[in-house]
Amino acid sequence: MATSTLLSNPTVTVNSVDLTDQCTAAVFTRVIEQLESTAFGQTNRSYVGGLENSTLTLTLYNSFAASETYATLKALVGTQVNVTAKPSSAAVAVTNPLSTLTGAYLSTLPIINSQLGSLETIDIVFTGGSYTVTTTP
Amino acid sequence: MKLTIASPRLGKVGDEFIPVEGTNVDALIDGGLVVSTTEPKKSSKVKSEPIEE
Repeated sequence: MATSTLLSNPTVTVNSVDLTDQCTAAVFTRVIEQLESTAFGQTNRSYVGGLENSTLTLTLYNSFAASETYATLKALVGTQVNVTAKPSSAAVAVTNPLSTLTGAYLSTLPIINSQLGSLETIDIVFTGGSYTVTTTP
Repeated sequence: MKLTIASPRLGKVGDEFIPVEGTNVDALIDGGLVVSTTEPKKSSKVKSEPIEE
């Protein structure tokens, strides 16, 4: 049973730049690679944890105006960058944890993704880096 | 080198920007989000040659 109503309004930053008002979707996924450890004699597959490879996927309006999406991202492709996300714009707390990927890698940056009659958006994925979570302001 | 915030996406425009570890400052400068101001160096004193009589 749902215990609270959540209006989806996360806050996201890329390289310390707040891109929340350009963002329409954010998916922060913690990934620990699975390594198979099944051996002869077992009747089921078993796994152990490997390297962490978490991701943050953002959908952003592709604004070319000053200080907006393109200006923020254009020099970051092919580099490591710090990215953060938290569930709401409220202060960091146990109920509003700030997740950070330090040194996440941005491998691709769509430059143009235009369709007639719609606002241009791009999807970008930050991969890897060190994951931390903060629950105190 | 002093960094000054040029976009409200980073904070109050005009305030000094102090990057946290790992921040790609070059990308921020390239995007016009911060401006770098180098404080003018104090000019070296040039001694004038003594007047020979």
